Amino acid sequence: METIAVEYGLVLAGTLFALGLISVLVRRNVIFMLISVEIMLNAAGLAFIVAGARWGQADGQVMFIFIVTMAAAEVSVGLALILQIYHQLKTLDSDAADKMKG
Amino acid sequence: MNKVDLLSLIPLWILSSAAILNFFSISIRRNHKVIFIITLVSLLVDFIFLTSYSIRHQQSVEPLLVIDGFGIFNIGLIVLTTLMVVMMSYAYFEQREERKEEYYILIILAALGSAILVISKHFASLFLGLEILSVSLYALIAYLRKRERSDEAGIKYLILAAFSSAFLLFGMALLYAATGTMSFQGLADWLAAHREVSPLVWCGFGMLTVGVGFKLGVVPFHMWTPDVYEGAPAPVTAFIATVSKGGMIALLVRFFTTVQGHQLTLLVTVFTVLAVASMFVGNFLALRQSNVKRLLAYSSISHVGYLLVAFLAGGDLGTQAITFYLVAYFITTLGAFGIIATLSDKERDAELIEDYRGLLWRRPLTAIVFSAMLLSLAGIPLTAGFIGKFYVIAAGVRTSHWLLVFALVINSVIGLYYYIRVIAVMFDQRENVRTSEELHPLVYIISSFTMALLGLMLIWLGVHPEEMLTLIRNTL
Repeated sequence: METIAVEYGLVLAGTLFALGLISVLVRRNVIFMLISVEIMLNAAGLAFIVAGARWGQADGQVMFIFIVTMAAAEVSVGLALILQIYHQLKTLDSDAADKMKG
Repeated sequence: MNKVDLLSLIPLWILSSAAILNFFSISIRRNHKVIFIITLVSLLVDFIFLTSYSIRHQQSVEPLLVIDGFGIFNIGLIVLTTLMVVMMSYAYFEQREERKEEYYILIILAALGSAILVISKHFASLFLGLEILSVSLYALIAYLRKRERSDEAGIKYLILAAFSSAFLLFGMALLYAATGTMSFQGLADWLAAHREVSPLVWCGFGMLTVGVGFKLGVVPFHMWTPDVYEGAPAPVTAFIATVSKGGMIALLVRFFTTVQGHQLTLLVTVFTVLAVASMFVGNFLALRQSNVKRLLAYSSISHVGYLLVAFLAGGDLGTQAITFYLVAYFITTLGAFGIIATLSDKERDAELIEDYRGLLWRRPLTAIVFSAMLLSLAGIPLTAGFIGKFYVIAAGVRTSHWLLVFALVINSVIGLYYYIRVIAVMFDQRENVRTSEELHPLVYIISSFTMALLGLMLIWLGVHPEEMLTLIRNTL
């Protein structure tokens, strides 16, 4: 079986990570920011799988499962907070939720 | 994992079973007092159990954790700090109408996460500890749902913490891809075997630095700190400033000493820049704050900068200086935020400097303890903060980090100005518009006791630091 070189996998993961990073920085909607952060986390997970495959170890996949679990916990708290913010501000624009300055 | 391993993790078991016990207790009947007592007792038991360990204890739970003197000392510090935070939380949450019981579960879990962090020696356990800590903190920061700024602070922290976790994880993945190992020791062996460090490894270290920098709140990754400090309830702010940041620093020390990061010149340069920037930016931004919580947030940024001086000095003296500084800083920060929590009323926290005008004449003891805490943050002799700063400078001088020492001295002077300003406001005699009744609900016996205890510890450590220093020296 022909295997894919590690570099390609890492480049793919890096590209995904950069896409997520850019969209966290430019998006103003809180939900989209949350989605972008998830993309970054999953890019890290992909990089772990690629690295695990390179060394033929299960560690990379174990880390991936940890990451998915953590991301789920994070999203559940995040969505609860977003609901709360929507109740208060009637908008999901992150500039509206920026009252603290200084 | 054998029986000995399981037994040596009892401090962690106690914390997790306390959380479960609280959980069941809430499902049977909501009672703030009962939950408070369960939490208090379990933290105390945990601490007493930790003191039974020999300081030379050395036990690794392969491949994830290592329980040594440094780890035990730091877990003890975390547990004790959590105990203090819980003690000052009772009065604070009792006067608020929202459901208060789950707060204690979350705070125990956060302490558990931080405890795992300080004994981890593998990326997987590092990640687990960090996430247990962070996810509990999201909920803790936004705990008071009726305060509008809580949600804002919560979501800001969540997005940025997840953002920094992603950086941390990607960095770990790159290091794993390059070296084939995720344990700190394995990484150290790999670095020792390969003199030529590939760009992939540098990339990994760089991303780890970004992730860690966010968690520590060093400049330029500091923008979340003031907002989160302001928006979170005062006891939670105390917790973030101490347990969360302290755990991360302890981890950083362990990681750096294991992989011998002091030999990687590029990394040392980056941390030097971060340290100097944190000191200056933190102090200069603190100068123009009119909100005490934000002022303490910026001051905490500069204090992380001071800690990095000892961290970069490295060696045994550096680690001792860091540990002592952490102890002193924990006491001081707990005291300062504890007083903000005691003075807070139902509607809002006592966070504006104006709330403190003439405090000395209304509540002399509180004002004196608060002044002592601020003077300790500034590093005035006879307080624990002075001894801490003295050791940091000593560590820096011994390893000839003149730039860092110089920056630290200048910043101590700048810092003095804004701490003294708050004290001057407290000593001001002008009659305040807000009467003391307004900011003065409920019985505060527990809170006052905690404050008095912290004040005494502060002075005691400042006058007789020898015993603490001997203890710290023995743990290394």
